[in-house]
Amino acid sequence: MLKRLTFFSLSLLLILSFAPPYLPAFEPTPEDRELLNKIEKDTCQYFTHYSDKITGLTKDSSRAGSPTSVAATGFALAAYAIAGSRGWISRDHAYSRILTTLQMLRHKAAQQEGFFYHFLDSRTGKRVWGSEASSIDTALAVAGALLAAQYYPGTEVDSLAREIYERVNWKWMMNGSDFLCMGWTPESKFLPYYWDSYNELMVLVALAVGSPTFPVPPKAWERWLRPVGDYNSHKVIYASTGALFTYQFSHAYIDFRELDDQGINFFENSREATLANRDYSMSFSGHYKSYSGSSWGLSSSVGPGGYKAYGGKPGGGIQDGTIAPYAALSSIAFTPELSTQAARFFFDHYEKELYGNFGFKDAFNLDKGWWATEYLGIDQGITLLMLENYLNSESVWKKFMALPAIQKWIALTGLNSRSASAVRKP
Amino acid sequence: MLAVTVPLFLINLVAIGGLYFGIWSKVLDAFSNEQTLNDLMTASRMVEYDQARHPAGTQDFSSLSFFRSTEKLGQRQREVFKDILNETNRSLFWKFTLLLALIAWGTIFISHKIAGPFFRFSKAFNELEKGDYRARVFPRKLDEGIPVAEEFNEALAKTDGLLSDLKALTLEKDASLAIAKIREKLSQVKTSADA
Repeated sequence: MLKRLTFFSLSLLLILSFAPPYLPAFEPTPEDRELLNKIEKDTCQYFTHYSDKITGLTKDSSRAGSPTSVAATGFALAAYAIAGSRGWISRDHAYSRILTTLQMLRHKAAQQEGFFYHFLDSRTGKRVWGSEASSIDTALAVAGALLAAQYYPGTEVDSLAREIYERVNWKWMMNGSDFLCMGWTPESKFLPYYWDSYNELMVLVALAVGSPTFPVPPKAWERWLRPVGDYNSHKVIYASTGALFTYQFSHAYIDFRELDDQGINFFENSREATLANRDYSMSFSGHYKSYSGSSWGLSSSVGPGGYKAYGGKPGGGIQDGTIAPYAALSSIAFTPELSTQAARFFFDHYEKELYGNFGFKDAFNLDKGWWATEYLGIDQGITLLMLENYLNSESVWKKFMALPAIQKWIALTGLNSRSASAVRKP
Repeated sequence: MLAVTVPLFLINLVAIGGLYFGIWSKVLDAFSNEQTLNDLMTASRMVEYDQARHPAGTQDFSSLSFFRSTEKLGQRQREVFKDILNETNRSLFWKFTLLLALIAWGTIFISHKIAGPFFRFSKAFNELEKGDYRARVFPRKLDEGIPVAEEFNEALAKTDGLLSDLKALTLEKDASLAIAKIREKLSQVKTSADA
């Protein structure tokens, strides 16, 4: 018996020692896991419901009159692939939805040098609302397409996704500078904004560096600013808004746990940023009823006064008592216990007002008695992908990290395997 | 004739009516209260997105936001008008092409139905001019002027009959009897020689 116990203890120790060092050891209860699965499945349905049946383009928001967004469409591609693999819809149906969407993006959706316009008409794919050919939104669309292709290798989906990626002239979007420009319009040409400082840019630059056709030089990765800030002993490479989504979007696709960037681990950074964001909102818990240890998540979302870049510190720190549940949930890879606790809290306390057919609505503000009535496509997308990584064996990360473009980006930028280097916080 | 003009008229009527109501229904739909409200909301959302994405340039003056939203809305309305115009032009192109084809077909059909009988009449007149009173007009089944041709043929047949009778009487051995019969026949005919 003692021998058996010793063997069991040693085995457990051995398993734990091989576990990824940054994935905090937390196992949700079966009830919580069931809830998280339900949220993921419901959230996924946003994309099947709000995507045009003919073109596949996905609405930016569930609000009436909303145009389609190319970033939301990218998340939809990922959503169909996930839904097909999880058996929520048939694999054939998922394939057909992905194919329709990719054909639209490849042949009809308005684009400039391969960069899609931010907002498109759902039926024609034409540019609407005078929107810009957007680098980040194109990157999110391409990431979704490449991920979907990984689920259907060697098919038409695979070749279309590659064609869409290979068509993007990332070099052109640098406009002769060291950084990628945020966008271009036919009227004013290149926007006066560049991806020159930390935020959701990492997936964009990774795809640009790894491009087989129009790669940007590795310096485009190396040179963007990594400003260091501190809040409540949480040292963070921070985004100017402090919005939580900026620490999450790139992590939906890229597994940063083992990547060391000039001594920075961005997975760890996002964990610290999440904790700082939570601490920041908790520091106002005496002022606002919405904020508590279980109710947190300051990120860009709709609010009582419209859409705002809510965020924590370090960063802009805009807050008015509005909480975006998606923000807390989408940090589940970084803070599984706290995010699960928040999901349980939101669901148990506010299900009636906040939870609908497609998961959690975008935000709420108890002090103003305000509850969002809409879902936002990109907020649904990040929730879905982060939950999928957490609940389904990091499936998105595994498939995306296997892409040759991502491997090329890692090799060219010298993102060494973290296991070879000491753990260094920013 | 009616078989052609009525369908052409109806097609024209439907095309023009459809076009008219189609354009106006699109305009009315684009500027319905509900759609205007949706567009207004979207315009302000677009401005909010811009401000959230480029916070450095954000000036949170509500009046500035309002003006920017109005500008976005104006831009959107121009897009909507342009779309309606483009769609109308596209639809007009196809409808007019179809209409043109129908009119061309109708014109050819009608001209054949009218020109054909005229040609036959002209041919018959030429024969008469040459003195062949056996000539007749034979219109086609769907030609215009069949009743006229029938009357014309009847009149020709009578004239042909009279001339044949006169011709036969010239062979009569009894000249005085022949003259009397000729006079009788000619008394039924009115000519310019009559007083």
